[in-house]
Amino acid sequence: MSHGVYLGDTPVRRPGISTNPLMRKIQRACRMTLPEPDIALNLDVADYINEKQGATAHDATTTIVKLINSRDTHTAVFALSLLDVLVKNCGYPIHLQISRKDFLNELVKRFPEHPPMRYSKVQRLILTAIEEWYQTVSKHSPYKDDMTYIRDMRRLLKYKGYVLPKIQAEDLAVMRPTDQLKSVSEIQKEQEIAQAAKLEELIRSGKPDDLREANKLMKVMAGFKEDNMVNAKQSINTELNKLKRKADLLNEMLNTSTEADLQNNETVEELYSALKTSQPKFQKIIEEEHEDDDLVQSLLKFNDAINQLIEKYALLKIGNREAAERINPANLNDVTNNISQTGGALANEINLIDFDDDTGAASPAPASSSAGSSNNNSNSDPLIDLLGDLNISSTPITSTNTTNNNQFLSSEVDGGISLDSTVPPSSSNTVPISASSGDPFDLLSDFSSPNVSTPTANLSAPTATTTSPIITTPSATANSSVRANVSKSAKIQIDVLVSREDNSTIKIKTLFSNSSPDLVKDFVYSMAVPKSFNLKLQPQSSSTLAAFTNEGVHQNALVENAVRENLEKKPLKIKWKATYNINSNPVEETAIFQLPVV
Amino acid sequence: MGNSISKTLGKLFGSREMKILMLGLDNAGKTTILYKLKLNKIKTSTPTVGFNVETVSYKNVKFNMWDVGGQERLRPLWRHYFPATTALIFVIDSSDTERLNEAKEELYSIISEKEMENVVLLVWANKQDLKNAMKPQEISDFLQLSENLKNQLWCVIGSNALSGQGLLEGLSWISNNTSKK
Repeated sequence: MSHGVYLGDTPVRRPGISTNPLMRKIQRACRMTLPEPDIALNLDVADYINEKQGATAHDATTTIVKLINSRDTHTAVFALSLLDVLVKNCGYPIHLQISRKDFLNELVKRFPEHPPMRYSKVQRLILTAIEEWYQTVSKHSPYKDDMTYIRDMRRLLKYKGYVLPKIQAEDLAVMRPTDQLKSVSEIQKEQEIAQAAKLEELIRSGKPDDLREANKLMKVMAGFKEDNMVNAKQSINTELNKLKRKADLLNEMLNTSTEADLQNNETVEELYSALKTSQPKFQKIIEEEHEDDDLVQSLLKFNDAINQLIEKYALLKIGNREAAERINPANLNDVTNNISQTGGALANEINLIDFDDDTGAASPAPASSSAGSSNNNSNSDPLIDLLGDLNISSTPITSTNTTNNNQFLSSEVDGGISLDSTVPPSSSNTVPISASSGDPFDLLSDFSSPNVSTPTANLSAPTATTTSPIITTPSATANSSVRANVSKSAKIQIDVLVSREDNSTIKIKTLFSNSSPDLVKDFVYSMAVPKSFNLKLQPQSSSTLAAFTNEGVHQNALVENAVRENLEKKPLKIKWKATYNINSNPVEETAIFQLPVV
Repeated sequence: MGNSISKTLGKLFGSREMKILMLGLDNAGKTTILYKLKLNKIKTSTPTVGFNVETVSYKNVKFNMWDVGGQERLRPLWRHYFPATTALIFVIDSSDTERLNEAKEELYSIISEKEMENVVLLVWANKQDLKNAMKPQEISDFLQLSENLKNQLWCVIGSNALSGQGLLEGLSWISNNTSKK
């Protein structure tokens, strides 16, 4: 009774057939009048497909194969070069299309049953393309099971007597799977694209088997995201392990090679750049996986190790072998081993933080118990810490935690080293010390060289030895300050004035300049020194920097336990981090800076 | 592409073939409609995880009907079924007034896709047998299709999958409004 047909009030017209932009782009890239294949036009098609996904890959390949078979050689050659660009730039969706049986059959439609005496230009190009795809896509693609028809077609051509050309290794390199570290979300994105392409292809083909598979695939895509997630994590681990091997190798090469070796060493260059380019990915993975503590910590440590390697490399490059040799990321192995472990990593981390140096730190257990009590004592009077009398340079590292404001908190977070990871398992009375070991100095622990790694360098006895040489004569070189540039980015310039206060104390005055036309807000600067030193950071003069202010904000800091002789042997390195908002965009800069010796 | 070839061939023999995509919220009755049309039977179905596809012939037209599950997590996958669709059938549970707005939103998000701009749209206001079901006219008013769809042919038909009421009318409307293609 209530059924009826309702038409809209306004008469509706069918829209005219809108010319498909993809077809237009393809035709433009393959038109006869072009003098040669136009890379820009070809890439434009690739971008379009990457952006639109969906049916575009399928439509493009069917159009292109038609053009390849056109009577005009020019057009066919252009179409093949376009196809080449798509295969190299559009990934799985295009690979899936070129490995379809229909497509491949269409591609060789104009090949005679028996090979001709001489191949035409188009035939030669087609054979090259098929061989290339065979060597790359159908052998190395993570989805090579979907690409078996390429292999079959190649086999068929060979069987019929066609000779497939040999492909230069360089030409193949482009399409090899890249060993790049990807974050979980990136892996998932890729997976999604691939699955979507597959699903659409299965739906399009509509064969019963394909439909069954499409149904299965759809369930996976809709329901088993967690499954994908686990896979993504696994592949991150695999990539990290590869990187670890690279880091090991680079370290070894840097240790054994001379400067001359390094100047034009491609392998070193390659390893170096692989490690360097992976670093931004670490950050991304950490952002995404911040709930996975083990992974984050391992990553942070690995990142540190890489930083050291990079620095070592830079030093070697400028010929500073001596300095380079001091940097020895010995913990590389420990660090990276942890990455692959999900549980039980903590036990290893104890080693890697405490025993970062080959010498010195081997007997922490008895030392730590005594240091633990002394530490407690000095800690019990926070007033002393607050007054920060320079002569009582025995102020334990813990005091920096109490005296300094929350700027340290941020760097603690940055360091990501949690407390329990450094508690030596055996001694219970070291608990207060372990609180101090949670500070960011741990990040730099590896910098302490063998010659400073007397028990001071040992984390578990941070202040034990410094108590004895307190009463030293004030240094004569008190007030000569040295100026140095820490960093100069597009917006912020950071300089330091370094001067010696007394024999064991350095004063660092950090000056901040804003060279941009924008107001810098919420400026927070934090520093960290190796744990054998003692840093006292005072509040910065302001947290805003007006536009174009030269040294508008300053911050004083004292580094204790910085004896000149030691610094000459091993320059003090400071890790700094600056965070600020500019035009309400948060910016973070961080690096390691080597303090000039004063 | 391939569709257009078979269409031309089909014309020679006086028959046509077209891809129909049937979407809608979960529990709207899509699968029941599909099997009512195909087998003239009521197949009690569990919620579709994935899709069903059947060919229904009616008046010289072969309708390849794709019924894709309507659960929320399947909806993002709907778009993979868009290519080469001639007609979209959107099935609405007319008694589920609470989710009518959700259905409307989903419908508009489908037809705003570029790939769907040339399809004809049939809305089946299903479950008309239920007492509290909204009338097709009410559904039509609620969906505001006349205001929003200027370039597309559309139509709202009341249906009852159990009795089969309205189903053949729908198919014949689709057939009549796509023949010029």
